[in-house]
Amino acid sequence: MGKRVAIIASSGGIETAYKVLNIAMAATATDAEVTIFFTFDGLGIIHKNSEQMLSFAPGNEHYEEGFKTANIPPVSQMLAMALESGIKLIACQMTMDVAGLKKEDFIDGVEVGGAVTFLDFAYDADVTVTF
Amino acid sequence: MNSFTVDKIVDCKGLSCPMPIVRTKKAIEEIEAGQVLEVIATDPGSVADMKSWSIRTGHQFLGTTTSEDKVFRHYIRKSDPNEVKPDTKFPHVISNEELSKRLEANPILLDVREPMEYAFGHIPGARLVPLGKLEEEIPQLKSFADQEVLVICRTGQRSDMACHILSEHGFQHVFNVKPGMSEWQGPIETTEVKES
Repeated sequence: MGKRVAIIASSGGIETAYKVLNIAMAATATDAEVTIFFTFDGLGIIHKNSEQMLSFAPGNEHYEEGFKTANIPPVSQMLAMALESGIKLIACQMTMDVAGLKKEDFIDGVEVGGAVTFLDFAYDADVTVTF
Repeated sequence: MNSFTVDKIVDCKGLSCPMPIVRTKKAIEEIEAGQVLEVIATDPGSVADMKSWSIRTGHQFLGTTTSEDKVFRHYIRKSDPNEVKPDTKFPHVISNEELSKRLEANPILLDVREPMEYAFGHIPGARLVPLGKLEEEIPQLKSFADQEVLVICRTGQRSDMACHILSEHGFQHVFNVKPGMSEWQGPIETTEVKES
């Protein structure tokens, strides 16, 4: 058993979703233990309605065509694969309180935790990435 | 000697990063140690990724071929977790450095790895005798029984077993080369890779 990778997703948008999930999937495929902490705008990525909520940042719309031709799986599918591979998804409790979100608003499999829950994992992480 | 077997093929054509790696990981779990996985991909990033992935996960990256239409075929041999630790059973051992020195004298050098490993890089002059075929090849090798025979594989484990087999068959001067091809710095020769 190898490395631990801790990822913080604090921005929204489709771009962030893919940055986070691509690194996470590559890490887990390389036998790393991965936890992603979703906070602030990052919570949109794991929302049940993420498909409607996630869009490209203004000026980045041209990516859409490229994503299609490059055969990139939709975010929902990437999340399903992530959970299936054992990646831990943690939603930030504090942001949820501020934004009035409940655990039920997120896709199944998401855990809710505070900063310390994430830090517990991150303290022993070999790699930490922030998006 | 250009033919070899692939035990599983995973088709990642048209898929972008990180999907070829994700599929490779899944597929390698479905084969046995020692078996070879072929990954077909069109993602140019997969060329570097497959190699790094193999090193990270401890599997053996054999090599990549590229076709004219830019389709990459990556070959990975699943490692046995115990294989990385070289064995020390056979008492007569020489180092890679020692082998380098002896090469000038054109010694009898048996490479007991699989044909694909051999094809992607072997020492010039080494004779391919996969460990699994060694017993049946003994009659052809018998004329070397009184000479010095050097045996090499990737990490020294298969060659160790080969040394035992040879010495049981009356070969007098057998030496296991350790660690072997995994750390070989000297000249390398490749042969064309064609599937059977």
